[in-house]
Parts: sequence; structure tokens; C-alpha cells
Amino acid sequence: MIRDITIGQYYNGDSFLHKCDPRTKILMTFGLIVAIFLCKNFVSIGIMIFFTVLCVAFSSVPVKMYLKSLKPLLILILFTAVLNLLYSTGGDVVVQFWKIKITDKALFNALFIIIRIICLIVCSSVMTYTTTPTMLTDAIEKLLSPLNVLLKPFNMQVHTLAMMMTLALRFIPTLIEEIDKITNAQKARGAELDAGKFTDRIKALIPIIIPLFVSSFRRAYELAFAMDCRCYRGGEGRTRMKKMKFGFRDLIVTVLFCAAAAGIVVTNIKFGSVL
Amino acid sequence: MAKIAVRGLTYLYGQGTSTQIAAVKNCSFDIEEGELVGIIGHTGSGKSTLIQHFNALLKPTEGQILLDGEDIWKSKQSVRNSRFKVGLCFQYPEYQLFEETVFKDVSFGPRNMGLSEKEIEERVRQAMTHVGLDESYFNKSPFDLSGGEKRRVAIAGVMAMDPDVLVLDEPTAGLDPRGRDTVFSMIRNYRNKTGKTVVIVSHSMEDVARIATKVLVMNHGEIAMFDTVDNIFSKGNELIEMGLNVPQITKVFMRLKEMGYNVNSSVYSVEQAKNEILRLRGDIG
Amino acid sequence: MDNNFITFENVNFRYESDDEEVILPLSLKDINLKIDRSEFVAVLGHNGSGKSTLAKAINAIIVPTSGKVTVCGMDTSDEELKYRIRENVGMVFQNPDNQIVATIVEDDVAFGPENLGVEPDEIRRRVDESLKEVGMYEFRNFEPHKLSGGQKQRVAIAGVLAMHTDAIVLDEPTAMLDPRGRKDVIDTVLRLNKQENKTVVLITHYMDEAVLADRVIVMDNGRIIMDGKPSEVFSKVEQIKKAGLDVPQVTEFANELKKCGVAIDSNILTVEECVAQTEKLLIRG
Repeated sequence: MIRDITIGQYYNGDSFLHKCDPRTKILMTFGLIVAIFLCKNFVSIGIMIFFTVLCVAFSSVPVKMYLKSLKPLLILILFTAVLNLLYSTGGDVVVQFWKIKITDKALFNALFIIIRIICLIVCSSVMTYTTTPTMLTDAIEKLLSPLNVLLKPFNMQVHTLAMMMTLALRFIPTLIEEIDKITNAQKARGAELDAGKFTDRIKALIPIIIPLFVSSFRRAYELAFAMDCRCYRGGEGRTRMKKMKFGFRDLIVTVLFCAAAAGIVVTNIKFGSVL
Repeated sequence: MAKIAVRGLTYLYGQGTSTQIAAVKNCSFDIEEGELVGIIGHTGSGKSTLIQHFNALLKPTEGQILLDGEDIWKSKQSVRNSRFKVGLCFQYPEYQLFEETVFKDVSFGPRNMGLSEKEIEERVRQAMTHVGLDESYFNKSPFDLSGGEKRRVAIAGVMAMDPDVLVLDEPTAGLDPRGRDTVFSMIRNYRNKTGKTVVIVSHSMEDVARIATKVLVMNHGEIAMFDTVDNIFSKGNELIEMGLNVPQITKVFMRLKEMGYNVNSSVYSVEQAKNEILRLRGDIG
Repeated sequence: MDNNFITFENVNFRYESDDEEVILPLSLKDINLKIDRSEFVAVLGHNGSGKSTLAKAINAIIVPTSGKVTVCGMDTSDEELKYRIRENVGMVFQNPDNQIVATIVEDDVAFGPENLGVEPDEIRRRVDESLKEVGMYEFRNFEPHKLSGGQKQRVAIAGVLAMHTDAIVLDEPTAMLDPRGRKDVIDTVLRLNKQENKTVVLITHYMDEAVLADRVIVMDNGRIIMDGKPSEVFSKVEQIKKAGLDVPQVTEFANELKKCGVAIDSNILTVEECVAQTEKLLIRG
């Protein structure tokens, strides 16, 4: 179900990480994603796991929430692991049955891919759980603001893109609710949505998609009016209630992250690769 | 035999999770053929959940819905039949319009029933007559109509299935007094002409009082009352305690009764109130 | 200082049709109107009577085809003044979903002052103050889609308050709400008018909301047909009904009795007034 996807959700809290500058969190998340794929042996991946656990601990978000974010991707994780298990080459054969040979390298590959994906999802969840979507888009706007120079000839601003993101995030739940309502209304008129051939099913979506479009345009139109009435004139001259400040907490996070990254690089060189 | 019989109906939202909520709790009642039942209750009282069981959009967690004495969940066929036998029109139904022309949109239901073109056309004509829109509307785009007209076309779309039971969820929501009166007289005419069973869900006691033969009051997912309009209004205080809006005139007469005057406190229309006062004055004078 | 906050002088307005050949009828006809500071004015009319167009003209969303609208002495047809007018007059629309911009309640309330370039600390102060004012402070970290319609409308009102506007124009703010939501919104509006001295223009088709205003303007066919105190306006029962509107049940009740030759004051609006009047009849009888 579309409702089960928790990525991109915010978890209300007041933790150490909630109070960090969203820009720090975005940059750190990107850094971690790179670092995750640098880990090539058990020591470096150990550092990675340790750092991830640290992040989770400092987010004060219940572990249950992280498990929830992993749940919809479980199949993907297992699928990738099995592929790695079967198609990795090289190394010594550990198990063999019928035509399938599983090597130690394949085992390591599978294990690493599982850990990597989990770390990846958990780290990005740490960011989204501890940062409101508004903060996130504001931070992206700030981080990308140097691009304004490039966008200027096209009469565009990074702010516009950030605003579009905010509005999209704002209206996703509203539209999901709307799809539910329209679906029920058409079902009540005898629409069959889950029967018949593929082409029939596509056709059956028309009575849902058209009303959804019509109402989305109406919403967009009304929203534009409402924003205009609240004196929205684009990014220029706008201030923000929530200030972004690189503070003491961000310094700690940055230092810890750099230490972890350095640790991963050093241990990679020192202990070589098991993959 | 009752048209719709509800037996021990319970429905849980989010079953098995920590946020499990019973939207409807152990409800049992009968709706007889030809009746016009008004269902009232404030938001969250379970009335919308209840009616979505009538045409098998929701499956009971416990209990049964019998349509003409037959469990609607008995087979795949009975589920599908219930969709056409019980025509459910949701709140703000104009948002479900999607076809290029009014005619095509109203024919969506009958077409899904697998009727012949001739039958479909007949049904559409019939339904459009019920909602008081003439042939000149057939080839118009539903999106070019006024708000009130859109509402009527959408209701016609449900009536065109020629259901045994017509269920309308807040059919007058968002309409102005004139639009509201049009929809109500439309429903009244439909019932007089066809003799079909009608169920109307509403927030407004006043509106329900004007049209219903029986009233079902829902409170916290349970049936608080199910009785004739007069009997329901004689329990004004209970209704107020449930957070329902009692008509102004009923409040006046309740107050007078509390003050010791021998008045009938179950009046709900201006006409009744006037007659009551004239009667009392006649008695005294 | 000039007390005339909003003025309309001989205002006519015509919407432009997409089709150049078609000339649409006037939506506003010869409107002359003065609204004072701190006044609570209800504009009543059926759909298409021009009441929403009137609201849009105040806020410079539309500019009169002929005539002049001024807010605090500023002409709405002056493009330069558009946003300064909107700093003075905030607007709340009918659909609560389509005016909330942010994904968190407090961020949405901050949207207006942010657009005005207010200092961050000051915005924080205004946001907290406005949310408390409408009774939504404890929901400040909620996502809008988890709120009820009435709560969303109160957030929208807070969004206007945070801009420190002197006046609020509400365009059918309760049309899509349930009775409880309606009451909360109207109570909030009343409090802002009585305690904070905000000028309020409430566009509605619900007479029970209009009776709470200091002054009721009734519109029909683009014209102002009545303008006066609620008790004066509603005592003209026939005229109100002809304009496609309701009158309070008690007013109609008194009016009906009067027609039957009963001596009763028909300038009544509330249950209390009606009880007092009716009691007189019963005693004297």
C-alpha cells in the first residue's frame, strides 16, 4: 500500500539531530551514501554500522519507525542479495548443489549489499525523520542558491523549484485521499477496477484519472489565488521564520562524520578488500 | 421481509494495528421497503462507514448485511449485485463526473451493468427526468454546468442504475438554500414516483425532519435511536447531549415546556409550531 | 482618521468570457457601499448572486469594470498598491485544503509574514500569537491533512492574522464544514471582531451565521437589495425568501403568527427572544 511508505515522512521530536542545521544533514547524508559504497572490508563496514547506529540513537526516533521504513523494500533487498549470491564470480566454492556454486566472495558480496542498502535507507530516514519537509526544501534552496546565476537567463530561480517541491509534498496526502474517494464513487457505479485483461484495466482507470485531473487543476488554480492573496511574490524579499544556523551541534556532527569517513578510508587501505 | 437487514455489524479500521478503531459497533436494524430513512450523527459517529456496507464497498469485520434476506457477501455475484441494487451516492458526487457529455456520464452505471444500448438510453432519460434536467443537457459537457446542476447530474448517474435502494451521503452539502430545496424536492418526487427505498445521511436535523419517515441516530459508532421523526424530536435533550443541532423552534418549545407550559415539545417545523400556539390560545381563550 | 475602511462607489463588474463573441451579464451592478473599521458585515446571497465577486473586489483579485473600490483610501485598480491592500485585508476561502501551502501548520501560518519580509523572530512571535488566537496552538506541529475541515479553516484564519491585517474577508468559509467545524470557525471570527476589533466581511448563504453580524447585506442578481441590522433584514421574511435564502425559524414563526392576527413582535432572531415573546402570548391568552 502506498500509505505504508514512510520515506520522506517527518517524525516530530526535539532530539540532537532534530536541532541540527538541515544543510548539515543533507550534506552528511550524501557523504554517507558515498562512504557506504567505499566500505570494502569488515572493519570499515563495522565503522559504517557503528556510525549509522549512532545516528539512529541521536535521532530519538523509535527503532520501530526505521523498521517500518525498511519493510516495503525488504523484497528488493533480498532480491539483490540473491542475485549477488548467484552471479558473483571468483573466490573459493563454499557450497555446491546441482549446477549452482556459491563462493565465499559471493557470500561476502550478498552480505555487504544487504548491509549497504539497510545503512542507506536508515541514514536517509534519519534525515527525513528529523527534518520537516519545509526545512528540507529550504535547505536545498540555500544549498543550490549558487545555481541562481545559471538559471537567471531562463528567468528562473532555485526558490521556484523549492516551492514546487514543498507544494508537491503538501498535496500528496490530499491527492491520495482524493483517489480513494473517487475510486469508491466509481465502484459504487459498478466500475470494475481489478478484473479483466490488462487493456481493460487501463481503460478502467479513466473514470478515476479524469476527475483527479479536473480537481487537481481546480486546486492549483485556487491555491495560486490564495498564495497571491497572502502576498506571495516569489523568492525575492522573502524572509524565513526558521533560521538556519551552523551551530555547535553541526560542528560535532561534522567532526564525527569526518572521523568516520577517514576511518573507512584508512581501514580500506590497511586491510584491503574482501570483495 | 426487510429490504436491508443489518445484523450485529461491527467494523474496525486498521484492524490488528495499534490504532485500531471501531467505526461501527454491533449495530442491528431493519430498513423496510419504501421507507425514507434519515441517518444523522456528527462527524466520526460512523454513519458514512455504515452506509458503505450496504453496497459491499466495505466488508464487515463481524456481522451480516442482508439484502432481501440474502447475505450480500455470500458470493462474488451477490457482492456485484449489491452494487446495482443499492445505489450509493457519495458526498460531493460532482467530483466523480468524468465523461465528455452528461449523457455518457449518466450512462456509466447502466453500462457497467451490461445493459443494451436501448435500455441504457431509457435509464438515462428516466434518471434525468427524476433530477429535473431536460434533453437539452444530454450533449453538454458536465464540466460546463453550474454547481447545483453538476450535483443533480451526478445523482442521476446513480439513479440510472435503477437501484432498489438509493443511498445519498449528504446530498445537499455545500449547496445554498435554493439548491438544497431543489435536491430535496427532487428526492421526494423520486420516491413518490418510484416507491423505492431511500436512505439519506445528514448532519442537519432540520433537513432530515423535513423529508424522512424514520430517523436513525448514530453516536460513537452505535445506534442511539431508530424511530419515527416525531418520537425522535420528543427526545430533544438527548439529541443535544450527543452534540446534534436541534432545530431552533424545537429549542423554543423545549424551553417553554421546562418553564411549565403545557406545550408539545416535539415540534420541529414552523407550521407545527404555529398550529400548536394557535391551539393553545384557542384552548385558553 | 477616516473611518470608512472599505468603500465601493458605483461599482460594476463583468467577467470576461473565453469566447469573445459572448458578453457575460454584469456580476456586480451599481454597488455603493461603505464598511467601517471594526464592523462585522455579513454578505448574504444565493450562489451566483455576486457575493463572492464582491469579496474578490475588496481584495483586488478583480478590478471593477467601472466605478471605484478603495481600501484605506487606496484604489484597488492601482497595480502598485495591490500588495499593500492585501497587507490590510486578508482573505479566507471556501475550500480549506486549497489554501494551505506548507506541510506543517506553523510553517503555513508563517507563509504570509515571510512574504512580507518580516524579521524571523517577529514572525515566530506572530505565528504563536495567531495560533493561540484561533485555538490551534497545540496543533502547530501537525501536518495539515491530519486536521479536520474546521481546524484547517482556523489555521487559514491564523495565516491571515499573522500578517497583521486590519480586516478579514471570508468567502463562504463554512460551506464545506460539518456543524461543529462551522461553529468553531464562526466563534473564532466573532471573537476576533469583538475582542481584537478586526473588521470582518463574512460572505455566506447561511442565515444563522448572518444573524450574528452587526449588519447584513443581502445580494441578488448582482445588486445589493437589502442592507441593515439583522433583525430589520430578517423581519422581511417574504423578501428574503424571494432572494432564495432562509430566515431563522423563530423569525418565520413570529411572522406567521402575526399573519394569523396574533400580536407578536416579529423582529426576533434568537431562541431566547422567541421564548420571551411566546411566553407573553401564553400568559396573556
